[in-house]
Amino acid sequence: MDAKRVETISARVDAAVSSSDSVEDELELSAVRHRPEGLEQLEAQTRFSRKELQILYRGFKNECPSGVVNEETFKDIYSQFFPQGDASTYAHFLFNAFDTDHNGSVSFEDFVMGLSILLRGTVQEKLNWAFNLYDINKDGYITKEEMLDIMKAIYDMMGKCTYPVLKEETPRQHVEVFFQKMDKNKDGVVTIDEFIDCCQNDENIMRSMHLFENVL
Amino acid sequence: MAAGVAAWLPFARAAAIGWMPVATAPMPVPPQEKRRGKDGLIVLNVSGTKFQTWRDTLERYPDTLLGSTERDFFFHEDSNEYFFDRDPDIFRHILNFYRTGKLHYPRQECISAYDEELSFFGIIPEIIGDCCYEEYKDRRRENQERIQDDEEADPGSELVSPDLSFRESMWRAFENPHTSTMALVFYYVTGFFIAVSVLANVAETVPCGAAPNRAKEMSCGERYALAFFCLDTACVMIFTVEYLLRLLAAPSRYRFVKSVMSIIDVVAIMPYYIGLVMTDNEDVSGAFVTLRVFRVFRIFKFSRHSAGLRILGYTLKSCASELGFLLFSLTMAIIIFATVMFYAEKGSSASKFTSIPAAFWYTIVTMTTLGYGDMVPKTIMGKIFGSICSLSGVLVIALPVPVIVSNFSRIYHQSQRAEKRRAQKKTRLARIRAVKSGGANAYLQYKRSRLLIGPDQEASKEAGQALVCKTNPNFEVHHHHLLHCLEKTTNHEFLDEKTFETNLREVTLVKQVSRSSSISSASSPHGFTSCCSRRKRKTFNVPNSNMSVGLQDSIQELSTIQIRERPLTNSRSSLNAKFEETVPLNCEQPYITAAVISMPTPPGTTPEGDDSASSTDYSQANIVRVSAL
Repeated sequence: MDAKRVETISARVDAAVSSSDSVEDELELSAVRHRPEGLEQLEAQTRFSRKELQILYRGFKNECPSGVVNEETFKDIYSQFFPQGDASTYAHFLFNAFDTDHNGSVSFEDFVMGLSILLRGTVQEKLNWAFNLYDINKDGYITKEEMLDIMKAIYDMMGKCTYPVLKEETPRQHVEVFFQKMDKNKDGVVTIDEFIDCCQNDENIMRSMHLFENVL
Repeated sequence: MAAGVAAWLPFARAAAIGWMPVATAPMPVPPQEKRRGKDGLIVLNVSGTKFQTWRDTLERYPDTLLGSTERDFFFHEDSNEYFFDRDPDIFRHILNFYRTGKLHYPRQECISAYDEELSFFGIIPEIIGDCCYEEYKDRRRENQERIQDDEEADPGSELVSPDLSFRESMWRAFENPHTSTMALVFYYVTGFFIAVSVLANVAETVPCGAAPNRAKEMSCGERYALAFFCLDTACVMIFTVEYLLRLLAAPSRYRFVKSVMSIIDVVAIMPYYIGLVMTDNEDVSGAFVTLRVFRVFRIFKFSRHSAGLRILGYTLKSCASELGFLLFSLTMAIIIFATVMFYAEKGSSASKFTSIPAAFWYTIVTMTTLGYGDMVPKTIMGKIFGSICSLSGVLVIALPVPVIVSNFSRIYHQSQRAEKRRAQKKTRLARIRAVKSGGANAYLQYKRSRLLIGPDQEASKEAGQALVCKTNPNFEVHHHHLLHCLEKTTNHEFLDEKTFETNLREVTLVKQVSRSSSISSASSPHGFTSCCSRRKRKTFNVPNSNMSVGLQDSIQELSTIQIRERPLTNSRSSLNAKFEETVPLNCEQPYITAAVISMPTPPGTTPEGDDSASSTDYSQANIVRVSAL
């Protein structure tokens, strides 16, 4: 991400520059602040209006005063929406999907770019994003193991008290169903084209892609 | 859920797109976006101090004054702001609660003023954050105790209920002498007689001068034997009457007899009666004299009259282990030094240290720095060890005593604090549990409430609406829709703990039952509405043939239908991919599924007669869901 300005509070303190104390270094790290790019730039890069960006940023900054979300906070926040189950695994995958430059933290730009695709993007872009989410190692193929991980993470969010009772092989069976549908040439992996193709032919999926359009 | 996290709900909902390609069922319709009021700044003027915040911030908590339409009552047209004639300092904390989701208690504020402000703005104190909660509770408790003390000290506030039984009123008179004049009189009379009795015991032994016809000087007790005897009799009679009255009035006689005070009473009066019985027998007159010693225990009866004595008694009881240690260490030192002194003085002639027990007396007198001088060492070694003994005596005695004192104060404060912590811990754990389950239960409640609007159109519509309106602001609605989407994706539903556990129990129960393929009626108490059951019966035959073979061992999916309690959704069993879901139902509910019992039901509720034929199929069947939109 270009033009990311990182300010350290200790830069104002001259002593910190000269000292090489490890404690001071720690203080520097923890005082990292991140300021996002200007409103105009973000407006140009995403499909949100100014007001929407303002609302988003206010909420973002409220929860993460330092301006960046690390994985722990991300998992924490996401888990609060799913009190009955364990949302941390799925949150981990989500974090990786949002953290496009893979630097271990989600800044406001990452956040807003992700949201822009999800809420205001074309169906193609949304499916692309979903494929990216499922493809854990980002090699362009979804294998059964990756899908199983994702599926287990989703089922984990349901928790223990479900109806009907969650069985061990339920995620696996679900993955089988998924692969049957998506894997056209039966080579054991799903490529991006197979994925997009198949989703576009499924009207349920098409309909659900437009579900959250008027969020915000 | 923290209000700040509500701002992330759009993110969570957007992220739900990640489930869409995986889901096999259609997603529920998103709720209508309630047109929010124009998002703007609100000015709150609290006694001149102006606060400003976003409208959305206040509306996070719609069941408080500021978050609901109740604030319109305070709108001031002239200045286009909301005016509250309240304390601005405390209002600051209340507004911070809206902003951060955490309510703090400022330590310098008065607890009752704070409580008043909270109740004015419709905020329950239980949501005070953990950081300030203990302080708040402490102050509150202190305040209440103070109020209680004031009430107790106020004599006019005693409620005398006229229909206390005679026994109860007597007991109350005994325990609280200031309740009635009679009780007070009785209290003072007994006190007086205790004092008289004790003084008489003391005076009996004073030498009174020789009687006119005797040469020997005798004690007053012997000289005026009759007078003292009459006095003693009178006192003992009073004490006996008092004891019997207390015994009569006690609510629990057994407990009263066991109590310390009653034992003291008995010990105080028994010698007299024993003496009465034994006066004619001269052989036991020695024992009789000993018994008179016990008369001194009457002085302990004063502890009913003095709170200080009671506290002292409690102190000794609570420091029993420390006292025991003191005694033990003293005993050890005494034995050591007595032995040493004995062997040191063994050599000297005419030594008073005839044996080690005889040396005990010397050691005790020396260690407590009394130094009577009736036994003194004469040898040099004896004198050396004697001085060591007296020096160490100071240490041995002086050291445990402050320990006892500090122990007492520590134990006393500790027990107070432990009680407080225990009480708070329970409520704190309960609060944490409630918050955790509140988030989950809110969704289940919402589902049930949506259900209620269907079948019981008239009765519970209001209840359902009330529930929905009260607990479902904009945020809640969207959150529930999100959870609903998750249920759809995984084709499983959320349940609460209780229902889940009942299911597990029923599963094991049914497993045993269906081994024998007899029709059991364990499911009958749960009622179906007749229209659904008929439909269920019909459609059940259709998928029977489609049942996959792999389900023969799994009877796990059995459950009973409880239309009133079970949340019904229109998810399908994930194993029935080919199942057509368009079986029409006549019922009006938006989401109705019937989870079919695969246990045979009693013939009474099944209109079709093919029960027995399909009973074996039932035992193999999985849950089939019929959905109707």
